[in-house]
Amino acid sequence: MDKNSHFKRYLKLDLLPTPWCPGCGNGIALKTICQAFDELDIPKQGTVVVSGIGCSGRSAGFFDLDSVHSVHGRAIPVAEGIKYANDALNVVVVSGDGDLLGIGGNHLMHAIRRNTNITVICYANEIYGMTGGQVSPTTPHNIKTLTTPQGNPDYPTDVQSLFKHHNCFFARTTAYHLNHMKKCFLEALKFKGFSFVEARTMCIVNYGRRLGYKNSNEMLLHYKEFYKINDNAEELAQNEIGILKSTAVS
Amino acid sequence: MPKQLFQGNEAIVMAAEVAGLKFFAGYPITPASEIIHALVNKEHIKALQMEDEIASINAIIGASLAGLKAMTATSGPGFSLMQESIGLAHMMEVPLVIVNVQRVGPSTGMPTLPAQGDVIQCIHGSHGDYFPIVFYPNSVSELYQYTVAAFNAAEESMSPVILLSDGYISHLYETIVPHRDFTIRPRSRPPLGTGNRHFTGLSHEESVPQTSDVDNYRRLITRFREKQLMAARRHNYYEYRECGKETDTLLISYGALSRVAYYFKNDFALYRPIRMFPVVDEIKSIAPRYKRLLMMEMNMGQYAHEIERILHRDIEFIPILGGRIDLKEIKQKIYGQE
Repeated sequence: MDKNSHFKRYLKLDLLPTPWCPGCGNGIALKTICQAFDELDIPKQGTVVVSGIGCSGRSAGFFDLDSVHSVHGRAIPVAEGIKYANDALNVVVVSGDGDLLGIGGNHLMHAIRRNTNITVICYANEIYGMTGGQVSPTTPHNIKTLTTPQGNPDYPTDVQSLFKHHNCFFARTTAYHLNHMKKCFLEALKFKGFSFVEARTMCIVNYGRRLGYKNSNEMLLHYKEFYKINDNAEELAQNEIGILKSTAVS
Repeated sequence: MPKQLFQGNEAIVMAAEVAGLKFFAGYPITPASEIIHALVNKEHIKALQMEDEIASINAIIGASLAGLKAMTATSGPGFSLMQESIGLAHMMEVPLVIVNVQRVGPSTGMPTLPAQGDVIQCIHGSHGDYFPIVFYPNSVSELYQYTVAAFNAAEESMSPVILLSDGYISHLYETIVPHRDFTIRPRSRPPLGTGNRHFTGLSHEESVPQTSDVDNYRRLITRFREKQLMAARRHNYYEYRECGKETDTLLISYGALSRVAYYFKNDFALYRPIRMFPVVDEIKSIAPRYKRLLMMEMNMGQYAHEIERILHRDIEFIPILGGRIDLKEIKQKIYGQE
């Protein structure tokens, strides 16, 4: 069997290569999404992928199904409009942390409140990569970026806290933990209600190399060493990845 | 069918239903809120209150692509927030109807006295070049009629059509005949989930983003312009009344203020654009018959500048600011001190 059949099934191969830099983690997430789609046998007709703006925003255009590339920060309300218009569609948002948590943060908060039955996959690379490397909502404290030359004075958004009192799905995973990433995507896609996966993907060109990483492999090894899998947690610690399904009553 | 008493905003809702509205998303704002109030009670229309106007416009873009005729309604502040995604809807060719019930600006202004300050925002509010179709009725029965026209024009042009109103017209109660005698355009493209199309705000050729092909971009914008003009020509709405007696003056006005202009019908010829944009061609043949062009609008000359630009001649302009329409004051401004 062709071990690449999943992405041959779901991607427009003639549009490759992607515009992403060598060593970028987005491709890992994109391929893993295809694996999850394939495993669940998600039909191409009847599925819509929506993106916002940024490196991650270019994901939607590569799917061999109807897709929408909206403006910066607005992928979630576009996806909600699609879902409310036609409940039979599988609607998946693929976008970045700057897009979903920064400029579009308000929409995320309210999509959680509405518990709209869509899946949001967030490539969280800790940086605004496409614009050259500015501080983003997931950049850790003290990290130097183009706009925080003295180090980030703020702390990153704790996305999971938004989900605390809602009957939604939250997961965190990384591009190193491939099986875990696939598991998170599968569970999120199967979840009835709003599901969100914070997928840590590495940006070597506009982030990692400035922090002293020699290549993206070193960033992956950092994920390996730093993150521990904890799929039974009620709350994930900063160095934990795992799945939280809120037990809050809807 | 008997005449019935309706408010302007109610007429918009009834007409939208006749035109096939199935999805509405909006955010509360005076003087447009009656529209969402009425729509949430309709059984066959999904009407959502979103967290802001940005979410509203993007939700109706999604819903329209997913197959439903979609609309939002707002006033100036919300319309400003929607601008970026109005550009997106033009780039992705998404049929929508956007109702803007104007109020005094800029910013929060004088809540919520009526104004006509969003006229230029309709065509230049978003960045880049786009060519929206804009209607501006002046009565409750016209709101009914042109709401249906807006939905049809949206499908014909595959673009967001703007229906302008103002605090006066939308809150006015008048008797109308709510007939259903309209030709209704069907949806212009198959819904999402039926193909492998990519809808993008990037410059594109068919479904494929083209971010460095300049010639393709030029073709795209030229096609948009031609498409919009062609669709607009089906909706050549304006009102022209010659004067009973000899006059050298044409009085131009629109929306709420044009109702006051009727008072001067025995002294001046009257012209009222209903399709505000693209500007109706007939003004070019009507205006040369008059030596004096007089124009009043509830802003500092937004449309007057547009007409001056098109006619290459000066207009005597009377601004009626701050939402107060006072006949005595207008007479004084038109005839001078008496």
